[in-house]
Amino acid sequence: MRRLLTLSSFLFLLTFLLVWWMNSRALKPVELIPTLTGESEYCLTCHADLPEISASHPVKTFGCVSCHGGERLALDADLAHSTMRGGANPSDLSVVEASCGGTNCHSGSEAENRNHIQRVTTSVQSTYAGAIANIRFTFGAQTDLNAHFGINAVTDDETRTGITSLSTFDPSSEVNPFIKEFGKNCLTCHLNATPREGDVYARQTGCAACHTPLFDSPPIFGENGGSQKGVHTLTTAIPYTQCNACHNRGNYDLRTMTFDERADQPTNRLQGYYQPIAQFTKCEYTLDCVDCHTRSEVMGDGDIHANQKDIQYVQCKTCHGTPTELPLTKTLTDPNDIVFTLAFLNPVIDLKLGDTILITEKGEPLWNIRALSDGTYEMFGKATSQYFTFNPVMGSSCTQTGEDQSSSYCHGCHAVER
Amino acid sequence: MTDLSRRDILKLFRAGFLYLSGALAFGGLLRFLDFDPNPAPKTEFDLGPAADYPLNTRTFLSDPPAVLLHTKKGFSALSLVCTHLGCTVEHNSDGFSCPCHASRFDADGNVTHGPADKSLHSLRMEISKDDRLILHLD
Repeated sequence: MRRLLTLSSFLFLLTFLLVWWMNSRALKPVELIPTLTGESEYCLTCHADLPEISASHPVKTFGCVSCHGGERLALDADLAHSTMRGGANPSDLSVVEASCGGTNCHSGSEAENRNHIQRVTTSVQSTYAGAIANIRFTFGAQTDLNAHFGINAVTDDETRTGITSLSTFDPSSEVNPFIKEFGKNCLTCHLNATPREGDVYARQTGCAACHTPLFDSPPIFGENGGSQKGVHTLTTAIPYTQCNACHNRGNYDLRTMTFDERADQPTNRLQGYYQPIAQFTKCEYTLDCVDCHTRSEVMGDGDIHANQKDIQYVQCKTCHGTPTELPLTKTLTDPNDIVFTLAFLNPVIDLKLGDTILITEKGEPLWNIRALSDGTYEMFGKATSQYFTFNPVMGSSCTQTGEDQSSSYCHGCHAVER
Repeated sequence: MTDLSRRDILKLFRAGFLYLSGALAFGGLLRFLDFDPNPAPKTEFDLGPAADYPLNTRTFLSDPPAVLLHTKKGFSALSLVCTHLGCTVEHNSDGFSCPCHASRFDADGNVTHGPADKSLHSLRMEISKDDRLILHLD
């Protein structure tokens, strides 16, 4: 009996030492109690090396689970990840309300333009309504160019544009084979579509399609040891390369209903900005898309629009004016003006009360452009922080009329050769 | 000094094994039972002797984020947790500002600029019997 007891205790000690040794080699749980939730989570045990996603979403405040979901107390990777929202991308539009929504965050707020999720899900970038309507009209599936279908069904009872709803576009229920092919090959660009394969098309879906730039970013994390392009970041400093992932990588061929990839291999910004067939001015390829195009143009204004033309309105004259009119401006007098928040989120310009900035004809602030006392304007690149100055058209030798201000007219004189 | 026989040494080792394994098993059990993966956040903080905070001083604390004031009226404390989403506000010449979403508060914690719509919270202070300052978050 004594011998058995001794042997048992010896074996127990051996087992204990073995467990202790294994435990000493195992990951030490790293606890985080975010201020926002006040609940423990252990995600940092494995993910402590990830950089802060943005200054507005510090991990100490938000933690990981409030955005990503997941099992906050689990130390096993599979279990911890089993209930994550949207996989690695909680901003996918299928889960974005749970991840990013809330009146203090990005939906349901009474403050103007704070309903980001509602605006984005009804925007043409999500609905693709114009393209769908055009194709269906072209191939006889509808008798007008009105938008009836979107990628997903959306409704807006308070619309100011007349479109109150779109039904879900279902290519399989279409009769015309071209429309079926369109559905199969040409729906890779809307915000929630899985992008085409290849680095030049690399982007995520939902909010991260734009706000998490992937192109040219270093691979920083991957699952199962694999390498995955992407960076743990959310930014409003969106480079043109991110827009290019959809907007300048090729064309849809209406004869075959296939996507023709851009064949050339641009090696610099001048070549990369637009497709070879396009004309452009120096400022167009020097600046980034977000330097000119506004929040409502890109993210939607809350209404359901029939096509891109209904929402995109910024022209050359928005910044440069015409021979007879200066661009519209606004002097900042309200400390609560949203421009201060926008400049705070992307601090490329030090805006102060009393500054005069440019605004669009719809009143949207071009907060990165400030009027100077000598009648010129200064501009700060939102993605590059580059500093530019420019003159108004008024007082120059330009003779273009105020009505003819689409880019094609300006390109007539100012297009760059390449 | 008595000589230990081989049997005595074996007995000693055996007893050692038994006691050691018993102690380790008990310790392991206690540690297992004591571990709480989901502990409640701490709500009471001992800030040390009240004498360490002279009259007419303002002391910034990092854990919990708060500013401790000692005036003629006594001790008071203001949370530095932004009432919008919980980021830690930073002190500046006008009061406090939030580095996350640009909310601003005056020196008394009142909102001067959104998105926060509530003042910074006042925290309950207590002086213990042994003259130590206790800060309560609840």
